[in-house]
Amino acid sequence: MTFSDETLMAYADGELDAATRMAIEAAAAADPPLAQRIARHRALRARLHAAFEPVLEEPLPQRLLAAARGPGEDQRTHKVISLAARRQPRWSWPEWSAMAASLLVGVLLGPWLLKSAAPPAPLDVSGGRVLASGALAHALSQQLASNQPRAAPVTIGISFRAKRGGYCRTFVLHQGQSLAGLACREGPSWQVMTLAQSTASPQGAAGGYRQAASALPPAVAGTLDEYMEGEPLDAAAEAAARAHGWSP
Amino acid sequence: MQELREELVALLPRLRRFARALTRNAHDADDLVQLALERALAHAAQRRPEMQLAGWVFGILRNAWVDEQRARGRRARLFAPEESGEKVADASGSAAPEMLAVQEALERLPEEQRVVVALVLVEGLSYKEAAHIIEVPIGTVTSRLARARETLQSLLGAAGA
Repeated sequence: MTFSDETLMAYADGELDAATRMAIEAAAAADPPLAQRIARHRALRARLHAAFEPVLEEPLPQRLLAAARGPGEDQRTHKVISLAARRQPRWSWPEWSAMAASLLVGVLLGPWLLKSAAPPAPLDVSGGRVLASGALAHALSQQLASNQPRAAPVTIGISFRAKRGGYCRTFVLHQGQSLAGLACREGPSWQVMTLAQSTASPQGAAGGYRQAASALPPAVAGTLDEYMEGEPLDAAAEAAARAHGWSP
Repeated sequence: MQELREELVALLPRLRRFARALTRNAHDADDLVQLALERALAHAAQRRPEMQLAGWVFGILRNAWVDEQRARGRRARLFAPEESGEKVADASGSAAPEMLAVQEALERLPEEQRVVVALVLVEGLSYKEAAHIIEVPIGTVTSRLARARETLQSLLGAAGA
């Protein structure tokens, strides 16, 4: 009796019914090469399992405990606020959602919104929407991802055409704690659609690794598909869009 | 909701292990876990009652990973020169050499095979559970696993025998 490799694998994984199992065991007892093939499958399974076993013993990162236990446990983990009215035209926003957005904005964005004598705040709330202003608005309109000044207060990520028309760009604001987000062109201004407090150290302070990768937290990256039409703009298309003032 | 949160905390070690089998970078792995937790909590109402929590959250994590791979593919085309330098210094410095060797082998598998290996061989789920999580027939799980095993055997040599 011969057994396919797939059957032997399923045997090693404990997937077979009793009858097949017994047939294999009986055959293997009299067939050392067969027994060896089974042993190889078992060894691989055991090795894979053992290799990752140490992860179970690692201390749990605080940010994950906080994410599981919910807000309030640790205010420093990155939170995502969607500031856009998804699948709804803006003008039919229920009032509460605008209010909720303003509240969240107050809690999370307070430091960025404080009107002070210092340079103009990078975010501004207007009619329940969060708009880019100051250095952020400037960077969104002018800065090219392909040519970013070192130590600029804003890093531009990708730019793309939005499903509903117009352009959107991702950004990271380096100011105190980093804030990452997505902004879409709305007439003359940039509306901020998603914001996440990033755990990334500003300007890659933590050993310098992962700067660009962590520039866009997965929480923000995960929402991109919802907005993006096709592929991101390449450098030439980005420059052309800027030259046309990001008009659709 | 409170109960779900506690169950998620209890599941955290396994979620982190699953993510580490998907991606070698420990920081990326925890980002994935965090994203999965956030999505699970946001979509708790969509979970069918007969669904095991672990399988449901593994599925969410796996989808988040697939999304991230896609987004990363796009970013890589834009930022390839800049990012390639960073990949060298990834956050895997603390991993045991054995884990690193296995992770390197896993990274060479096509992503659909890597998921199956992570679910069945690392997490110890049945083919049926794995099929349910990735929403394919059991036969597909079996054939992906068979191909993955062949590659892993050749990459990892005598496989600890």
